Amino acid sequence: MTASLAGSRTDLPAGPPAGLSGPVPRRRWSARSRRDFFVFLALAFPNLLLIGTFTYLPLINNIYYSTLDWTLGSASATVVGLDNYLTFFTSADAGKVLGTTAVFTATTVGGSMVLGLLVALALNSKVRGTTFARAAVFAPYVLSGVGVGLVWLFIFDPGYGVLSWILRGLGQQSPQWINDPQLSLAMVILVYVWKNLGYCAVVFLAGLQSLPKDVMEAAALDGAGSFRRFLSISVPLLSPTTFFLLITTMLSSLQAFDLIRIMTPLGSGTSTLIYEAYLQAFGAYNRAGYSAAVSVVLFVILLVITVLQLRFVEKKVHYS
Amino acid sequence: MDRRLFLSLAGAGAGAAALTACGGPSTSAGPGPATATLDFDGVKPAASFDFWSNHPGKSQEVEKSIIAKFQAKHPDIKVNLVTAGANYEEIAQKFQTAQAAKSGLPALVVLSDVWWFRYYLNESIIPLDALIKQLDVKLDDFRTSLVDDYKYDGQQWALPYGRSTPLFYYNKDHFAAAGLPDRAPATWQEFAEWAPKLKAAAGAQYAFMHPALAGYAGWTLQNNLWGEGGGWSKGWDITCDSPESVAALQAVQDSVYKDSWAGVSSKESADDFAAGLASATLSSTGSLIGILKSASFNVGVGFLPGGSRAKTGVCPTGGAGLGIPSGVTREEQLAAAMFLQFVTEPENTAEFSAATGYMPTRTSADMTAVLAKTPQIKTATDQLSVTRVQDNARAFLPGADQEMAKAAAKILTQQADVKATMTELKSTLEGLYTKDVKPKLKA
Repeated sequence: MTASLAGSRTDLPAGPPAGLSGPVPRRRWSARSRRDFFVFLALAFPNLLLIGTFTYLPLINNIYYSTLDWTLGSASATVVGLDNYLTFFTSADAGKVLGTTAVFTATTVGGSMVLGLLVALALNSKVRGTTFARAAVFAPYVLSGVGVGLVWLFIFDPGYGVLSWILRGLGQQSPQWINDPQLSLAMVILVYVWKNLGYCAVVFLAGLQSLPKDVMEAAALDGAGSFRRFLSISVPLLSPTTFFLLITTMLSSLQAFDLIRIMTPLGSGTSTLIYEAYLQAFGAYNRAGYSAAVSVVLFVILLVITVLQLRFVEKKVHYS
Repeated sequence: MDRRLFLSLAGAGAGAAALTACGGPSTSAGPGPATATLDFDGVKPAASFDFWSNHPGKSQEVEKSIIAKFQAKHPDIKVNLVTAGANYEEIAQKFQTAQAAKSGLPALVVLSDVWWFRYYLNESIIPLDALIKQLDVKLDDFRTSLVDDYKYDGQQWALPYGRSTPLFYYNKDHFAAAGLPDRAPATWQEFAEWAPKLKAAAGAQYAFMHPALAGYAGWTLQNNLWGEGGGWSKGWDITCDSPESVAALQAVQDSVYKDSWAGVSSKESADDFAAGLASATLSSTGSLIGILKSASFNVGVGFLPGGSRAKTGVCPTGGAGLGIPSGVTREEQLAAAMFLQFVTEPENTAEFSAATGYMPTRTSADMTAVLAKTPQIKTATDQLSVTRVQDNARAFLPGADQEMAKAAAKILTQQADVKATMTELKSTLEGLYTKDVKPKLKA
């Protein structure tokens, strides 16, 4: 087989060019190169070992588990091939989970970035109190998601929450934020955006402050108004910042867990892919194999989104 | 692939990968540990063992007190009390994860009414019969209905610990203001007649607060279902869409929407009731002490109301027991069993009951002092004689409780059509039975 294939390609040279025939001299490492290589190994190997052990090994294990019918806690399992994937994609839940994931990701990424940019514009102005305002805006981002979720649950509580108290004062009944699945999703999105817009604001603020002042001044001299300058100069020049935030916030949103877990433990209306993976394995169902399949689906989605962003969105970015 | 792309992809992979960093199962068939013959002859108890608890009914202090007494009696055995979760679901999650990782297992674990059967199916716990015999545990002194809940396949899989039933709690002051008798209603129909008077006279937001759906809606709704002759299931036949079941849940929906005298708790109906948001609620007997401590009004308790088809025998049992995992050594299992025997002794179950409001699990427990201090516990204890074993669908199907809660949420917060919701739930529950339980049941 090999011979016939080789024989069919008459255009290929029969062997290496004459000038390259004979033994290739081995490249000798200098003592310094060797030393550098060992330093590299000494520095990189522990990290590579940790990443391999705690990231890639579980990833490979997870893909294997996704081919099993395995009840969490059971010592035995049955190999079922792609059945878990088929079950997921043919179930009514798949549409709901993917839809919830899309809505949650789009609204939280969009909300955090748009509001973050507006807040950054406000913080970029030279008025008193901006230092305090910056700290106040960023503070929710560094707070524990569990604590934030618990506090906001009290605020949204239809019985004795602050929101319900305000609504009652206006003669309105409080909506069932926690029990109604549709409102639960809105509630979690609101809190998630509130918690994360500070991060976007601070990154946008850094971007705004690094914009070249001479370009702005030239545009102003040419008669461009502030809105025009923002739209035609600031926005394009902020594109590296926007691109960075788009990637990081989207990955964070797709992996959002703590707020959903605390505010809607049953995942009614808020079951995104990552929460569905959690509920299926560690919630009431104990379907570890099925859960692994759901998390592989999430992994593939993250992979595709990241590649698409790097391939296509990045082309629109102005780095200078 | 450039460096940036590589790093991005690596970052993206990390999140998904971190989900399942645990041990794996065997794919070759073989008998599990629980099927092996258990023999504790010649076994010496371990010097220490872990006891995983979620401290049901805020019982951490009383658990420590009982452990101290046990260690005084058995100085060679140390009990390590571990807070393994805030509720039954969290402790189950931790236990299942340890089971999958095959490490870090406790020798004694709190297991709720909806979890122990799964542990049995997974062979995660051992039958206690050999230990009961060896340690001479007085099984006939336990309350029959509580101990029988853990019998399956002719063996005893756990012993009752923080056992509870739902209880009807009412605000005596509100009832008096409305000119109502100082008692729980005999039926839900009777309460529906009382509700408008309560709302008018008491000034509370609701006459009644339905328990939180994310909690244990499947548990308390059995009361409404049974009162109208329905249920989640009959044996392994799912009956949640029967005309009786639909009528029962329609009445519950009407209490919220059509008649507007009931609300649905968002977190914990006991807290809502104690805060004065509602004139009455259903909650676990394990909430009794907490309600009595936090309520600023006179609290009344009574049996659960019946319905048009059944006025009694409409109260499900519930709560938690204690089981011994199969994945620990015989020595640890024996030491845990000795503590299990001790914690269920009459004086200790009385102490536990006094501190939490949970049922005394032994008939010989002297409750005189407890009842003198908290007479309401007597109502909870008396109700035990009219309890009913839970429907299989709720107690034994993995995930059924969640599905029931989701269905209840549709009915009670989105005003979904009851019949259609129950038909959908039936299909889901049958799927759970066919896939997760039926293949594992012995013929």
